[in-house]
Amino acid sequence: MSKRARLLPKWVTRAAAGIAAGLTLGFAVGWWFWPVQYTNTAPDVLRQDYHDDYVAMVAAAYEVEQDLEQAREWLKLLDPEEPSTPVIELAERLVEAGGSAEDVTRLVRLAQALGANSPTLIPYVEDRP
Amino acid sequence: MSGFSTRQVTGVIGLVIGLALGLLYTWVIAPVELVNTHPALLRTDYRRGWVRLAALSYVADGDLERARARLDGLKQEDVAGVIQALIEEYAAAGRPADTLRSLTTLAKALDVHTPAMLVYLYAPTSSPRSPVRTPYPSPTSTPTPTLTSTPRASPSPTIPTPTPTHTSTPVSRDTSPLTTPTSEPTHTPPPPTPTPPLLARLQLAKQEQICEPGQVPRIEVLLKDERGAGLAGVDVWLLWPGGADRAVTGLKPQNGAGYADFNAEPGTSYVLGIGELGMPLVTDLQIEPCPLEDDEEPLMGSWRLVLEPRSPDHSESGLDRSAGRPERHRG
Repeated sequence: MSKRARLLPKWVTRAAAGIAAGLTLGFAVGWWFWPVQYTNTAPDVLRQDYHDDYVAMVAAAYEVEQDLEQAREWLKLLDPEEPSTPVIELAERLVEAGGSAEDVTRLVRLAQALGANSPTLIPYVEDRP
Repeated sequence: MSGFSTRQVTGVIGLVIGLALGLLYTWVIAPVELVNTHPALLRTDYRRGWVRLAALSYVADGDLERARARLDGLKQEDVAGVIQALIEEYAAAGRPADTLRSLTTLAKALDVHTPAMLVYLYAPTSSPRSPVRTPYPSPTSTPTPTLTSTPRASPSPTIPTPTPTHTSTPVSRDTSPLTTPTSEPTHTPPPPTPTPPLLARLQLAKQEQICEPGQVPRIEVLLKDERGAGLAGVDVWLLWPGGADRAVTGLKPQNGAGYADFNAEPGTSYVLGIGELGMPLVTDLQIEPCPLEDDEEPLMGSWRLVLEPRSPDHSESGLDRSAGRPERHRG
């Protein structure tokens, strides 16, 4: 009985050590030897402020280049199904937050060019020069 | 023996279980989700797109600090490469001068230099031109489309986005790439003075007008070394108010290793630059009519410019400017 009692803890200890070593190896494999590559990301995983910046920049670039297809391609990286959605969303948030009217106007123009609109943004559409 | 084997088996089983659990956790239960990344982690093409967008946004809003904040954290080579390419692309496409001026301003602020931007600093100020410029496609340059858009510059907006605030201020370099190399001090008597690089010693040795009926006016450049052999592989820039074009010598070997040419049009004042930095060697170059003889029809002449290095011991002031006086040849 006493021998068995001594044997069991050793077995448990060895198993626990094996598991610990295995876990360590597993974490090493998952996080060290084949770590997740943080490079080569796409714009859709940008932090929210960068995400918003991206949309605002696309609207500004559209104003300069007037290249709707290029703007659409850029926006598809955020929302492949509805490229205009991020534009509308940002414009609405800017209106709500009292953001720059110039930025809102650019976004509305781009949204309009993409065939999208929003009731919140109608004043900006009407005020468009 | 059997006890030792049991220990081994126990350890191996534990190891396998642990490894499986570890991988299960890192790959399945809690895989890393890519969220909240920043532009520096974007794939190369997306990262370049980001830089391009930031530059175009600067053209639209003129907000330099905002542009800097957007480009903060990106590699300088990425930023420089994209902005250089954008300026050259826009210059070649004949984009409006205001747009190129904005891009040039941004480039300067970011310590980015490209010969195509120098036209706004050094090209002769000619009479106002139409913002839509017909490009001059030469055999060695990319054909360029006609511009149809007119960007509207607008006041800088303030978008309440928490863009990075630790804006690094690039050290602006006042020295221009076009700055001509300073001449060696001549008062130092016992001097093995270093010889300036060949390109820095190039000067206009000969300028002749070519009058060939049926030929589109062009500017031919012939670069030679000290021995009179053609210099191949040298960038030659032709700059004019609102645009720039680049050619590389030697791409038409039938005309000589140092040969390059550009199509040109009358009424435009050109600057010819050499090398990666576009050192200007010839300024105010204009296509001119050929002298008429008898019943000939009016004809616009081309220019052939021969550039040769001055000798190393030839002082800066001793340039033989008369050598570049135009000659006229009728084809």
